[in-house]
Amino acid sequence: MNAVPSLELTHFQAFLLFAVVISVAFGFLGRRRPKDRVKYILWSLFLFLLVGIGVGWAMFPFSR
Amino acid sequence: MEDPAQPPAIDETQPSRPTRATPSPGESRAVAFGIAAWFLPGLGHALQKMWGRALVVFFAVGLLVYAGASMKGNVFTRQGTDAFDKLGYIADLGTGSFYLFARAIETKGADVSQAGGDYGTRLLATAGVLNLLAALHAYEAARGHKA
Repeated sequence: MNAVPSLELTHFQAFLLFAVVISVAFGFLGRRRPKDRVKYILWSLFLFLLVGIGVGWAMFPFSR
Repeated sequence: MEDPAQPPAIDETQPSRPTRATPSPGESRAVAFGIAAWFLPGLGHALQKMWGRALVVFFAVGLLVYAGASMKGNVFTRQGTDAFDKLGYIADLGTGSFYLFARAIETKGADVSQAGGDYGTRLLATAGVLNLLAALHAYEAARGHKA
């Protein structure tokens, strides 16, 4: 199995992939009703993005 | 003189011998579901007819493993020298049979000199930990706990 192309993602794309996949998995594992799952997924995704981007900006002054 | 036909009297002043706790059939079944869930992501939920959860776990772990390995993340082996390598190996093993899939598609080896490879390493570890969490969830659901 050597025909798998290498995947090149930017920082943000990799972060978004992580956040979306984990939010969906947590939503399905943690909630039972579809409406609750959707709310949980959206809220979890929002918090992932908020914290990730927030930490990124918080590190910006020390990056140079 | 004791009558041999009579059963020996039970001395209630002595503490009773502790009996070995044997797992109930439900507990054994739950453990089997947990192991199945670890071995093939989603199988523990599929065996309990939780189809939505089974599909999500299967594709979430599969996607993370595929992305991690094709981004040239580090798929740790048991030959790790330091604690981080060993912890990484344990996390990667959490993906069950998908660990072999990751090893199979990462034929050119890891490249963590660039950010993509480092992200790939994290995605692989995340896939393992997520699958362990899902296996624990399947185990708890099989025990009848609210899930």
